[in-house]
Amino acid sequence: MSNQVVLLLAIFIPVAGAFLLPLAGAINIRLRNTLSLIFVVSSFILNLLLIPGAIAGKILTITQALPFGFNFSFTADALAVFMACVSSLISSIIVFYSFGYISHYEYQSEYYLMVTLFLGSMIGLVYSANLILLYIFWEITALCSWRLIGFFREKQYVLKADKAFLMTFFGAISMLVGFILIAFKAGSFELSVIKEAFRNNPIPGLIVALILAGILSKSATLPFQTWLPDAGVAPSPVTALLHAAVLVKIGVYVYARLFVATIDIPYIWHTIVPFIAGVSALVAAGCAIVEIDLKRIIAYSTISQIGFIFLGLSLNVQIGLVGGLLYILMHGLSKAGLFLCAGIVEQNTKTKDITKMGGLIQTMPFTAVAFLFCAFSVMGIPPFGGFFSKYMVFNSAVNNGNLWITSIFLVGAFMTIIYLFRVFNMVFMGSPNSPLVKEGSKTMVFSVMSLAILSFFAGILIYYPFTFANVAMAGFIR
Amino acid sequence: MINNAYLPLSLTLIIALPLVASALVLLIPTRWKSIKGLVSFTVALVTLLISILIYRNNFSFSFPWIGFGLDISLRLYPFSAFIVTAAQGFAVLVSLFSIKFMEGREHEGQFYSYLLITLGLTSGAVLADNLLLLLFFWEGLLLVLFGMIAVGGKEAFRSATKAFIINGVTDLCMMSGILLAGYLAHTFIISKMNLPATGLGALAFVLIMIGAISKSGSMPFHTWIPDAALAAPLPFMAFVPGAIEKLIGIYFLTRITLDIFKLSAGSTLSVLLMWIGGLTLLFAVMMALIQKNYKRLLSYHAISQVGYMILGVGTAVPIGIIGGLFHMINNAIYKSGLFLTAGSVEKQTGTTSLEELGGLGRKMPITFICFLITALSISGVWPFNGFFSKEYIYDAAIGKGLIFYVMAALGSFFTAASFLKLGHAAFLGKLQERNQKIKESSVSMLIPMIVLAAFCIFFGLYNSVAVKIFEPIVQASYTGKETHFIFNISPMLAAITGIILALAVLNHLLGVKLGKDGLHASDHIRNAPIISWIYTKAEKRWFDPYEIAMKLLKVFSAILLWIDRRVNWISDVFMVKVSYSIGSAIRRVHLANYPVYLIWGILGFAAVTLFLIH
Repeated sequence: MSNQVVLLLAIFIPVAGAFLLPLAGAINIRLRNTLSLIFVVSSFILNLLLIPGAIAGKILTITQALPFGFNFSFTADALAVFMACVSSLISSIIVFYSFGYISHYEYQSEYYLMVTLFLGSMIGLVYSANLILLYIFWEITALCSWRLIGFFREKQYVLKADKAFLMTFFGAISMLVGFILIAFKAGSFELSVIKEAFRNNPIPGLIVALILAGILSKSATLPFQTWLPDAGVAPSPVTALLHAAVLVKIGVYVYARLFVATIDIPYIWHTIVPFIAGVSALVAAGCAIVEIDLKRIIAYSTISQIGFIFLGLSLNVQIGLVGGLLYILMHGLSKAGLFLCAGIVEQNTKTKDITKMGGLIQTMPFTAVAFLFCAFSVMGIPPFGGFFSKYMVFNSAVNNGNLWITSIFLVGAFMTIIYLFRVFNMVFMGSPNSPLVKEGSKTMVFSVMSLAILSFFAGILIYYPFTFANVAMAGFIR
Repeated sequence: MINNAYLPLSLTLIIALPLVASALVLLIPTRWKSIKGLVSFTVALVTLLISILIYRNNFSFSFPWIGFGLDISLRLYPFSAFIVTAAQGFAVLVSLFSIKFMEGREHEGQFYSYLLITLGLTSGAVLADNLLLLLFFWEGLLLVLFGMIAVGGKEAFRSATKAFIINGVTDLCMMSGILLAGYLAHTFIISKMNLPATGLGALAFVLIMIGAISKSGSMPFHTWIPDAALAAPLPFMAFVPGAIEKLIGIYFLTRITLDIFKLSAGSTLSVLLMWIGGLTLLFAVMMALIQKNYKRLLSYHAISQVGYMILGVGTAVPIGIIGGLFHMINNAIYKSGLFLTAGSVEKQTGTTSLEELGGLGRKMPITFICFLITALSISGVWPFNGFFSKEYIYDAAIGKGLIFYVMAALGSFFTAASFLKLGHAAFLGKLQERNQKIKESSVSMLIPMIVLAAFCIFFGLYNSVAVKIFEPIVQASYTGKETHFIFNISPMLAAITGIILALAVLNHLLGVKLGKDGLHASDHIRNAPIISWIYTKAEKRWFDPYEIAMKLLKVFSAILLWIDRRVNWISDVFMVKVSYSIGSAIRRVHLANYPVYLIWGILGFAAVTLFLIH
């Protein structure tokens, strides 16, 4: 199997396979679930197969010219392969977890269809080498997220789903305008052409602002952050997917792809973006300290952590780029873990209000430990993976010499410790405020434990993801 | 001396062996939990033996890890060797003590596992010759800190959280300081760093210093210690706040003042450190004086004594630094010993509340003697070890300003007074009804106490031996003007110390007369005008920086939430209103009237044409 075929299969197995799932569901539920997992896992394995080539520095491209410059072209460089591996790994665990979680609800075929398509379009977006192709996949993810957030179909929930869709959609339209303006200047939507056209020649600030609006709305960063906490009405594996593997990570990935790997942005944006990210990180952390809805707290935590990722990616410092990319991995693992733990808690206690919980460690010790491990990783405590990404991002901020931005993020990091402990203590420790419930199903506990353990080993074996990320981010500093 | 080829292996073993063993301890099935303590003891002993074997070597090695400055580089030299050996010694003694003490408690296995991890990470932090590697081990201690306190009981997690948050926040400050220092020095290798403590360097120094003094338990980062004293299992107190945190906190503080930055005597930062030390030692001992619980009283002394060390190191003159380091090891010995006597009392009587104790001296004579020796040491009575280190610190302090000496001397007065009260209330006086049947503790608990008490005497009688340990360390790095490294105890200061101690005894006798018994011997100070008001507020945690910070944070967060809700209002209310009003405005021009539409059409056509022509 040539690498081209591997790349295409990695994208199209989940994209095309997703549409088989409702059919399979009509035959047999087990078959459908297994197929869904097989599609996602095979995408992960295929992405893994691309790693050796990517680390060796070979850039794999597939181009099929189509009219009007809407070329069908994919590129697999180290950056794309890294992101694709992270997304598909986490998605695989989430799909496995869904077997336990979603079995209580109706419309399961739709669920598996959407989740698999979601991941597939994410992989497609990651490998896209053409702005129009990228935009198409971007909007497919928006559609999937809209359907999945409103999965429970209550009026209020559907409204929240609409909000998420509209906010990201308006952002995307603004981004599309930016893309078209770029194409006017460069003469093509192809990233490789654009890269040549803008070599040593930053693009105008207006285009940066237009595209940034799209990125920030997708990555739920101030001032477009509010749809993400509202999206907590979705089933927990979906929120995990939104926060950890796809959707929110799309924004930061496209930032890295466009503004780090492809085009120069005017120098001032290396200050503006960290500043926006810093304010966003701080505001969201403050909300997480006062909120009482379990999933909203974790959602605000994501907004806050996304700020750290942007900080790393936007400072134009090598260690920051590597740190930001590692942050995507570490945050993905631990945040998925937190949401899946929250899913177990929320499904068994039938509430999301943390003031009504307490003492759950007595009956759900595994979930509690997994939650704590993932929380440690988010806080950045060694030897968990989060430590390395956090210190690298801070290192870049210090090297950049902007003390104000560093201090904003430092306060954000303090608050991270505080809100995560508050949540942990109120949910799992102390005396119970309502009758204790039993531990989650084996499938679900296995999923959260594996995410917690992965967070741990991602830190212990940091050498491997680090080397990969270092290759992925080589040569982008200007 | 052993063959050099084995040195890298030995250093790795010192760090890795306890970490690996900790996992094994957790894996040992509950059926055999009695051997968990034994495993911990053996592993600590093995690492101690390795350290003793390689003690006299000067050696460093480096091994690339992930780049960007983070490499595995370890350095064994007299200072790090001493600290590691001492830490391992405490681990051996505390493990031995815990075997009997922790027997039958919940989470016994977890405790030993955390103890071993603490040992491994501490050794790593001390041996690290790379600031980022040091940070890795240092911050890792947070995990076990939380765990060790939390296994103390159902509600212990609250103190554990407080400890974690305080140390977590200060560790983040230290991280920023380390990154800044590395940026300024263009390297993270400690032995290659040499930064001026001015400008950004001063900022880096202060940030790192926050981490170091917070780890050692100084004010204003101390308030978790008294809380943990009651919540956490006692061996934790003896091991972590009693010994380990002092060792690495003061070790690192000394490294930054002597090696990484060259702190000069009389500089602003040196004065800042001295003030932190002076105020810590005084305020904490004032709080210790009025405590009515054995463990809580000791915990305030654990804070207070650190003040002496910071004061000594902060003077930035050789006698002060050596005094501070000498006091560090002395304090670790007697404070650990004192906590163990508290453990012995707790195990035998089931309480550490002084109201329920008294007259134990006859029932538990060996514990009492150990208490006596360690209490005399901490009070600075000649010829015990505490006397000598305190005298050095007095000597350095008086050279830097009378005020520092006065604070230190007042601190000594209250230290002596509070130990007179503690000893009187716990071991003398009337034996309570509930304690009639108690016996002396078992041998495995007594041995660690006896060993520690013996060290108090040894380091007192042979104080010059102890000072010889630190002299070359300081001499090698010291760049200040003062060059003479031969110290004598100043007879005048020693005489004043004697008077202060005598006054403390008189004060105690007065207190006993006024308060009727040992327990209430400090009530006349507690109830003195003004002071009593401060005490009342302090007991209500008015001055707890943690509580204050948490309250401020709540307000700050509420403001941030308000911002978030305003932004949300734009999308959820404002935008909806705008689109509705645009919609209704547009609806108003749709009159279902053909001529009007025609005019709209013509106007539109004209506009497009104009644009195209233009």
